[in-house]
Amino acid sequence: MMADSRMFWRIIRRLITANYGRLVVILLALGAGAAVTAALLNLQIDAKKRLTAEFRALGANVIVTPRAAMAEITGGAAPTTLVQSVFAQLPTESGGKRIPAVAFLYVIGEIAKAGTTHFEPAVIAGADGRGLTEIRPGRRTEVNDTLESDGSSCEVGAKAAAQFKLHPGDSLQLRNQGREAFCQVFAIIATGGAEDTQVFTKLATAQSLANLPGRISLIQLSVTGTPIFVKRFIAVLSERLPDADVHGVKQFTEAEGRIYSRISSLLSATVFLVLLLTSLCVMAGMSNVAIERKNDVGLMKAIGGSVRRVVRLFLAEAILMGIAGGLVGSAIGILVSIWLGKAVFGVAAEPRWIVYPFSVALTVIVSIASAFPLRRLASVRPASVFRGEA
Amino acid sequence: MFLRLVADSFTRRPKRKLLTMAALALGMAVATAALSVSLDVGDRLAREFRSLGANLLVTPLADSLPLEIGGVDYRPANAGAYLPEADLGKLKTIFWRFNITAFAPILEVPVEAGKDSDSFGKTTLIGTWADRNVPIPDGGTYETGIAKTNPWWHVDGKWFADDGQQCLVGSAFAKQHDLKIADVVRVGSGDGSRAMPLEIVGILSTGGPEDDSIIASIATAQQLAGKPGMYRRLYVSALTKPEDAFARRDPKTMTPADFDRWYCTPYISSIALQISEELKGTDVRVIRRVAEGEGNVLTHVRTLLWLVTFVALLAAALAVGASAAASVIERRTEIGLMKALGAGSGLVGVLLAAEQLLLAFVGGGIGYAIGILFARVVGVRIFGFAPEPKLFVLLIILALAASITLLGSAFPLRKASRYEPAPILRGE
Repeated sequence: MMADSRMFWRIIRRLITANYGRLVVILLALGAGAAVTAALLNLQIDAKKRLTAEFRALGANVIVTPRAAMAEITGGAAPTTLVQSVFAQLPTESGGKRIPAVAFLYVIGEIAKAGTTHFEPAVIAGADGRGLTEIRPGRRTEVNDTLESDGSSCEVGAKAAAQFKLHPGDSLQLRNQGREAFCQVFAIIATGGAEDTQVFTKLATAQSLANLPGRISLIQLSVTGTPIFVKRFIAVLSERLPDADVHGVKQFTEAEGRIYSRISSLLSATVFLVLLLTSLCVMAGMSNVAIERKNDVGLMKAIGGSVRRVVRLFLAEAILMGIAGGLVGSAIGILVSIWLGKAVFGVAAEPRWIVYPFSVALTVIVSIASAFPLRRLASVRPASVFRGEA
Repeated sequence: MFLRLVADSFTRRPKRKLLTMAALALGMAVATAALSVSLDVGDRLAREFRSLGANLLVTPLADSLPLEIGGVDYRPANAGAYLPEADLGKLKTIFWRFNITAFAPILEVPVEAGKDSDSFGKTTLIGTWADRNVPIPDGGTYETGIAKTNPWWHVDGKWFADDGQQCLVGSAFAKQHDLKIADVVRVGSGDGSRAMPLEIVGILSTGGPEDDSIIASIATAQQLAGKPGMYRRLYVSALTKPEDAFARRDPKTMTPADFDRWYCTPYISSIALQISEELKGTDVRVIRRVAEGEGNVLTHVRTLLWLVTFVALLAAALAVGASAAASVIERRTEIGLMKALGAGSGLVGVLLAAEQLLLAFVGGGIGYAIGILFARVVGVRIFGFAPEPKLFVLLIILALAASITLLGSAFPLRKASRYEPAPILRGE
């Protein structure tokens, strides 16, 4: 038995090393297949995660408003507002990612450039929180960084700035029903939306102008994650804040969900297709190599090898090749995917180790499957092989 | 004789040739499918992104400061400037007219609403187009409206008719005042002089401030505001090319040649300029969050798919090359025999190359057909549209197949040309 298995391995070694050209060809084909499998699978998992982060360029996607109705700011009726303490109840991070959140209080007051007496009505938005630039994406067309940290500084929308000819460094006079405040402009912001017409001050300034201390109109959050994750986040938050109405910004959540599912199924389909065809292609190429081994099979049978033993020999060879090609190829593939992730998203893709055993296993399966035509060689008659027939 | 040798090699061992060809065809199918999907996906995805809503906002250039919160203008009807509705057909005459997929004007009026003898107090009536055939200056009409610019607006019931006394009410507003479809609400402008009844035909939910408003045809809003034929804001949805470094340059500082290139590329900023040239007295602004969100995702997805394509091509090339190499390696005896009979290394090389080329063209062709089929399945499944088969993809595939097989066989062929016939024939 001992001698038997030693012989077995010796034959295998000879089979593998007999023809270096063929060895290179097989390893190349299997390795290429394994590399593609590992690279694409790893990249696919990573890309889907990154995409949800890319969508945050859309700004806030979750909004917390008073329960009764959306803040009715116009008219004589008292505006509905939230207690500011709601803001402290919001989670600051989820799954290790920071959640930008900003509380706003909107006041329709009057503003004028300091030194002039020409007051015009404008929306004054008091804002306080973390990540205003992520909540309200846009471009700062002019900015004075040194003023930003100042306690009484404010940011002015592009349209409002053009109306009042404001630039960073200018002072702005704000008033509402007899209450007054000043602020110094530190940036001009262009978003293309309603924000272009607003003046962004500290929350406390807006609260004292509106005579609504400790009140806010709404809170905007920018939650990163798949559409399902965001939905769950909203449900959890609604439960935690019974006095407030928590809902997704439909414009973005709906489109995001749609686009995300399109892109992710597109990616999955492409990757699946490429993997399927690549395995078939590798298999066809390998079978081609296997069929060429009629001579070896003929010889083994001629000197008394049973069909089962011969097939076992070749299967063992295929498994060894599959493991070798798979181990090397998959490792290369994962390295490639890290680099690809960097090329696409600017952040190296995280290697996911589950991909490695999976793609090695797949390679071994492909390799075994390609050795299958050898079973048909069981019918090979040694004599006719040596005569060079068929 | 040459052709006979080639033909013979195919008919003698059809199974082996079939396998080489199968490998080739499958490899080329990967390449075709990946290429077709990558080429097509940009346009399809850009269209999907229009479900984010308008990416351009048009307002009057000389205007008082809008009192906008959320998306609703709280100015009284007599303040600020207006734009003529009749001009809107001109949008479909700009250079990139086919890239404008939808547009809708908005006119908001603060109104007093009520039902029967109840008064609901003040609210906002948003006048817009539900579904309008806009006449275009060069003949014909174009169908558009708010349902197309804002696809996330869901209506329970139906949209109002653009010429009837009908309206939608926002879901929160309906709930607050217990309104149902077929109820009639009474709306009047602040001074009560222009009151009119509107029949509710649907309940609108948008997740925005519109949920607290009444939405009706723009003609109704114009009548209530006393501003016939006017609107205040226009939302435009346009298909664009994601902005790159070139697009971010200031067009005012460009050379004339650069400016032409910029103007004739569907960047969001160049479409904005073209609209402001056509609609006089307007300020066209890019809605940054939509345009930039779209640009970011599109650029990345495109790069991603190109890289997947590239990786797939590389793998297919390696596998096919390996298969081609294998088929040459195993033919040592044949090569030895030919040389023993007096064939030069060159002739043997040409003969084998001709065989491989024939394989490449047939296999490449079949692979192209399979690949197109797969790309169709993916396209229909995901976007509901099949990508158009493109002729130049076929040319690329054939060239690729030919060069891969030749390259794959080149190395073993070179080795084969150095064979001494005698030892091979002896079986050494």
